[in-house]
Amino acid sequence: MKDVLHRIWSVVVKEFLQLSRDKVLMGFVILAPLLELALMANMVGDGAGNLPLAVVDKDLSRASRELVAMLDRSDDLRLEMYAENVDQARQSMQQGKVAAIVVVPPGYGEYLTDHRQGAEVQVIVDDSNYVVAIVAESSVENVAAEIIQDLTARTTNISGGPVKMSFVARFNAALDDRPRSITAMLGLIVYQVTLIIAAQSFTRERERGTLEQLRITPLGRVELIVGKAIPTLVIGLVDSLLMIGLIALWFEVPVRGSLPLLLSLFVPFILAQIGWGTLISLVSHNQQQAVLFVFALAMLEVACSGIIVPAADMPKMMQVVSQVSSVQHFLVILRGVMLRGAGFSSVWVPSLALTGIALAAATIAWLRLRAGLDTDSLRQRLRAAWQRHQKQVRRKPTPSARPGRGKPRLAPQPVYVARQVPRRRNHPRP
Amino acid sequence: MRFRLRRFISVLVKEYRHILREPRTLWMIFLSPAFVLVALSFLFASGSGHVDLAVWDHDRTPLSREFTSNLDSNVDFSVTYVDSYKEIDDLLVDQKVDAAVVIPSGFGDTVRDTEGASVQVILDGIDTFAAGQATGSLLGYASTFGLKLSRQFALPFPPLQVYSQHAYSTGTDRSDSMIPGLIPLVFSLPAMAAALALTRERETKTLESLVVTPVRPLEYLAGKLVAYVSTALVGLLPVWLVATVVFGVPFRGNPVLFIAATAAFLLANMGMAIFIGNLVRSQQTATVIALFVFFVPGFFLAGLIDPIDTTNVMSTGISHLLPVTHFVAICRAIFVKGAAISEIWTSVVGLLGIAAVWMGLGALTFKKRTS
Repeated sequence: MKDVLHRIWSVVVKEFLQLSRDKVLMGFVILAPLLELALMANMVGDGAGNLPLAVVDKDLSRASRELVAMLDRSDDLRLEMYAENVDQARQSMQQGKVAAIVVVPPGYGEYLTDHRQGAEVQVIVDDSNYVVAIVAESSVENVAAEIIQDLTARTTNISGGPVKMSFVARFNAALDDRPRSITAMLGLIVYQVTLIIAAQSFTRERERGTLEQLRITPLGRVELIVGKAIPTLVIGLVDSLLMIGLIALWFEVPVRGSLPLLLSLFVPFILAQIGWGTLISLVSHNQQQAVLFVFALAMLEVACSGIIVPAADMPKMMQVVSQVSSVQHFLVILRGVMLRGAGFSSVWVPSLALTGIALAAATIAWLRLRAGLDTDSLRQRLRAAWQRHQKQVRRKPTPSARPGRGKPRLAPQPVYVARQVPRRRNHPRP
Repeated sequence: MRFRLRRFISVLVKEYRHILREPRTLWMIFLSPAFVLVALSFLFASGSGHVDLAVWDHDRTPLSREFTSNLDSNVDFSVTYVDSYKEIDDLLVDQKVDAAVVIPSGFGDTVRDTEGASVQVILDGIDTFAAGQATGSLLGYASTFGLKLSRQFALPFPPLQVYSQHAYSTGTDRSDSMIPGLIPLVFSLPAMAAALALTRERETKTLESLVVTPVRPLEYLAGKLVAYVSTALVGLLPVWLVATVVFGVPFRGNPVLFIAATAAFLLANMGMAIFIGNLVRSQQTATVIALFVFFVPGFFLAGLIDPIDTTNVMSTGISHLLPVTHFVAICRAIFVKGAAISEIWTSVVGLLGIAAVWMGLGALTFKKRTS
């Protein structure tokens, strides 16, 4: 056991030596996450706010002007232009200059106070981005609800309507969008750094031809994997801690839960990435393939993580499938512990899922490792087995067409045998 | 010193050999965008707008019960009944509910007063998207409920109705708007491959042997770019088929414009990638940087989900330095809006300009290294 630990330790030392030699890479692995997070956290706005609005006012009454002013005042809309007619406004939308068009028909003001007939407005939203469509639609509806409340209040002499709603936001009184998006960024950055480092661990050695050297050392395969995983884990944890510090101190994102709990839950998250990354590095021939694999996998994980589409809005089937995504579970944990002050009792389900994913990834990587460190070994084995099989078939005499009549005849020899010529490679792989 | 077509073609042939030799790399450049797009596209259902509520009824009068039971039977809400602030807080921390409604005692009596009744709503401030949905739905619910009450007074009709219309009739299906927006992201894959091809040559020391051949740096770069851009463009066909045939996204624009824009996008991305590749020596570093540049910003800065906030000068500036921002706008305009070039020329010019800038930077830094 002591030997094993010693051997693992020597791999860890080797990895750190290699990392520290590549100053540029080291700098990037430690500083780039901080820089990127700082930059993006500064840039991220308040969700889909400030959408440009075009108004086609055919009424030009006091009531319609009041409506336009209310729309302009609302959080998510700002008045960009008055249009002469709908076509002109549609043209601006086509060019991407406005996100929504509000059409106030003639007689709006009269109908609004007329007690026999209600007024109506039409809103046309740019649905080439569904978020814009939803936000624009609902903010116009909110303004309409406000007007109705007002009217009801005036006719019934009840100020603010019979049922008033007073909204309070827990955890985030200003309903600032930034804590949500900054935590998502933090998760994604930790994700990409650890995944890419792990995915290149074996590919890099293979490409440089140092994998052969490692194989003649007394290192076992599992020791090699564990030794290579530890530096990645350390880097990931250091990055996470630095980034948490950054967003807590600079961007004033609160850390309400316990920091040790949070950091200890980073461990299964990073381990899951190391598992997937190691698997990728075991199956790719070179770093180019590894990075393509990483990118494809990362896209899928992010897609399932609830960043693009809220998890509750996915189709039922995808909600089940997306449970495989470690990012999704991790974001639940991160937002729960960091922003809502959740304890372990609140986040044990996603923590368990995360651990399960990490274990599953490690198991698959280990199984793949049993097939050998060479990427081709599995294929070569299969080919060898196939060739053995072919030889046996060739040796075996074909049964006679008429059974029971004399000795079985050998298959007639073909005039020539087309041999399987191995495909020529211009440059043999190292 | 002139640009010779023959030398360019020989580099091109060499690059094609590199790509074709590894069937797996070829498949990944060629098919992975389509594959990733298929997987992503399954995510988009119609939005449910569903809100999970906790309700605490202090009042327990017929009117408050009417309020809560109407809430319960409304398809937009699913209701959990609770009895204390502690329970509400626990549900919010566990992310089981999006908002909590607290009905004060005396609700039934005050609702007919001149003051009206006030209902407290506690939102989950972290998930702002869900909070917005809850606010909208609850306000709407309150106003209809209030209206129903006041019908007993004066107003027999809804005084104001909003008719909303989707300009491009994508209906409730989100895939129509999201799939064209995701195409740029899945097409970052081939660009990364190209960048690595360059650093790889430096790392395996084959670049030195290229330097002694009569091939000029510019011919070399052009050959590499054309090889990778053409391979990636072939991959456009499966992506287009996935989007339009499998997921039924409308394609209303001009196919030639779309192909040209994709080529410009690929060139811009590869110029950026080559620039990165020139700055660093090892593939590993190049990969890490490329991932930082292409991956996370693509989701947050490109206007894919939240539109770019044009009032923030800094974020607008940086977003528009990324080719993906322009291409997201172009893809959506061409697919969904059926925009002609005269309507989206700003994005097209932006994309071309960025392509020129990054290619120029890539070529400049490349020359210095080889000479």
